[in-house]
Amino acid sequence: MSHFDEMTALLYLESQLDAEHAREIAAHSASCADCRELLHALQTEGIWLRESLAGEDEVMPARLTEGRERNAAPWGWISALGLSAGGAYTLWSGFVEPWRAQAAQAGFTQGNLFTMLFFSGAFWKGWDAMRSLMEFLAVATLGLVVMWLLRRRWRSLTTIALVLGAMIWSLAISPVASAAETKRGDPNYTLPAGEEVKTDLIVFADRTQISGTVDGDLIVWSRSVTVTGHITGDILCFAQQLTVNGPVDGNVRTFAQNGTLNNKVGKNVMVWAQELDLTETAIIGGSVTMGVGNAELNGHVAGDVLGFAESFDVNGSLGRDASFQAGTLQIGPNAEIKGRTKFTGGREAEVSPSAKLGSPIEFILKKHGNERNYSSPRFYWHQVLLWGASFVFGLVVLLLAPGFFFDAERACGKTAQAIGFGLLFLFATPIAAIIICITIVGLGVGISTVFLYFIAIYSAQVFVGSWLGEKILGSGVGVGAGLGRLALGLLLLRAVGMLPYVGHWISFVVVAWGLGAVVLALYRYMRPQVAPAI
Amino acid sequence: MERRKTTGEMSAAEIAEVLTQVRAGDADAWGELYRMYAPAIFRFCRRALPTREDAEDATTEVFMKVRQKLGTYDSTRPFTAWLYKVASNHCWDMLRRRRIRQDLETGDLETLPLEHPDPSQLERLQAEHGSKEVRNGLQKLPDRARMALVLRYFAEMSYEEIADTLGVRRAFVGVLLLRARHQLRDVLAGTDAALILGAGGAKR
Repeated sequence: MSHFDEMTALLYLESQLDAEHAREIAAHSASCADCRELLHALQTEGIWLRESLAGEDEVMPARLTEGRERNAAPWGWISALGLSAGGAYTLWSGFVEPWRAQAAQAGFTQGNLFTMLFFSGAFWKGWDAMRSLMEFLAVATLGLVVMWLLRRRWRSLTTIALVLGAMIWSLAISPVASAAETKRGDPNYTLPAGEEVKTDLIVFADRTQISGTVDGDLIVWSRSVTVTGHITGDILCFAQQLTVNGPVDGNVRTFAQNGTLNNKVGKNVMVWAQELDLTETAIIGGSVTMGVGNAELNGHVAGDVLGFAESFDVNGSLGRDASFQAGTLQIGPNAEIKGRTKFTGGREAEVSPSAKLGSPIEFILKKHGNERNYSSPRFYWHQVLLWGASFVFGLVVLLLAPGFFFDAERACGKTAQAIGFGLLFLFATPIAAIIICITIVGLGVGISTVFLYFIAIYSAQVFVGSWLGEKILGSGVGVGAGLGRLALGLLLLRAVGMLPYVGHWISFVVVAWGLGAVVLALYRYMRPQVAPAI
Repeated sequence: MERRKTTGEMSAAEIAEVLTQVRAGDADAWGELYRMYAPAIFRFCRRALPTREDAEDATTEVFMKVRQKLGTYDSTRPFTAWLYKVASNHCWDMLRRRRIRQDLETGDLETLPLEHPDPSQLERLQAEHGSKEVRNGLQKLPDRARMALVLRYFAEMSYEEIADTLGVRRAFVGVLLLRARHQLRDVLAGTDAALILGAGGAKR
């Protein structure tokens, strides 16, 4: 027999040849030194491969060392719930309640402010009309969360059927949304004068002109909205430009770049806008709440006024109390404020001698920017509250999405890359969101993007903090160790952020760093191709 | 505290008992099973997949599959072999789904380089490269080649099982393995692959 080839030698060594062929190989190699040498080399290579592959140079990560379905004591959950409750209480007592009290002190006498802002008037009704979609999304999200939580517990389709059944049932029992007429512009929509819509009207259009009567609420997503007709209900509007020339019997709630009110509004007005103009002919039956860039109040407001703005120019009559927080406040010669006037700003209000004020303006000088008062215990208490809030947030993320949490934490290790991506997304995301918002279709996407963007910015400290904690404490196993790492890391970041002069810059870098880590972690899930790690 | 048992310390009967308890819904038994086999499966996934993160995810997912498919396990066969089969199918699916196979062997599986290695060069290569270098080199191989080596020399699978997992004919498994060995040698030897090849089989 002549020399055999390498393939034959390998198959012989791995016992893959038939008996007769194997005997031939054995006989030949007994008399052929070259072939014997080849067999030996391949055999040694096999052993070498086995030993190399069996070698252990990487320890299994801590989060995998315990079976996820272990029957662990519920102390982790109990402590998490306790901390969550504590955090929620802290948030409420530290931030929400003081703000509410402040608003009440500012003369806001309409009972529960939240109820007024969100659950009365057009907001509530508006969402009511839209609730089929909202409910579906909410229930679907809830269902997905439940399915995710139960994903390892179900053994058959029963659980899936149960969850889906519950979702369908939830949808089925919800009250049928009140009838509403929905119009989509092509690209514009006009309700001609003389025509009447005898129900709520929902409009999606580029330009919207309402000259007829809407016997219900008007809910509009549009670039420009002009209302010259009569609205018997409320107006809820998301637009670049809103002009209301006709009477509105209910409330006006709007998110717009420019808002102009020229006629009577029976109830309250709430505006988030760049420019707001309440002209001389505007008559507001209720209160006005606004967060605006510049506002001119030349009409008549029967209720309270609460405003946050860069500048206010008041030249109309305000029937009750007014509270302004702004850079500048000008009260013109025709102005009349019957109740108290509070003004918080950088400098005192300019008041015309002819203006009629029920009481002198209570002026509170606003401290410059975010100047820190290191000698005040309140400052440190505030820092503790902020730390607690970030810890609770981190805890929730850790419990809801542990995989993503650890991925983002690990991505913080790629410091330069994370900071680079973070800076890019920090500036590019808002620009992209604004561009998307230009189209009506993209408005929802844009708003969602901004919403997620802020969540990602807030979460940045959590991932960087956790990474920092791991660097200091090491990667211990279990919930306690994870929480300890998170707590320590966040504490350090908070402490460093308090440093004078450099604190803000460090916090900025942390935001970019963590945001970049989030981006990298998300990219991991979506990448089309993976390069070898080594 | 009682020391945890490892795979090697449990007899087939003990494993069978644990499996019975797991099937009956005993969470503690499942935890024991997980602790026994998770490190080995993690190591397998680490060898088979390109990144550590992938291996971590895959380990978790493999055990989810094991739990779901435990009813299909034939207790007359070794449990470890079945476990590796589930893991290898999962890892191969993962790689296939991502379409990252850079494997160019599909079309010419039957062809092999005619060169034969110089045994002395081969032995020198083994002497010069430690285990870690081999593992690093493994990560640079095309997916199919890497999988073939891992399935054979780590999971100790038969040629039939490898053929089944990778979706090739059994007759090509040997070719696949030999080609993978060649590629690994090339990677370890750097660009100067000719060092370990006997220049077109001139020696023979």
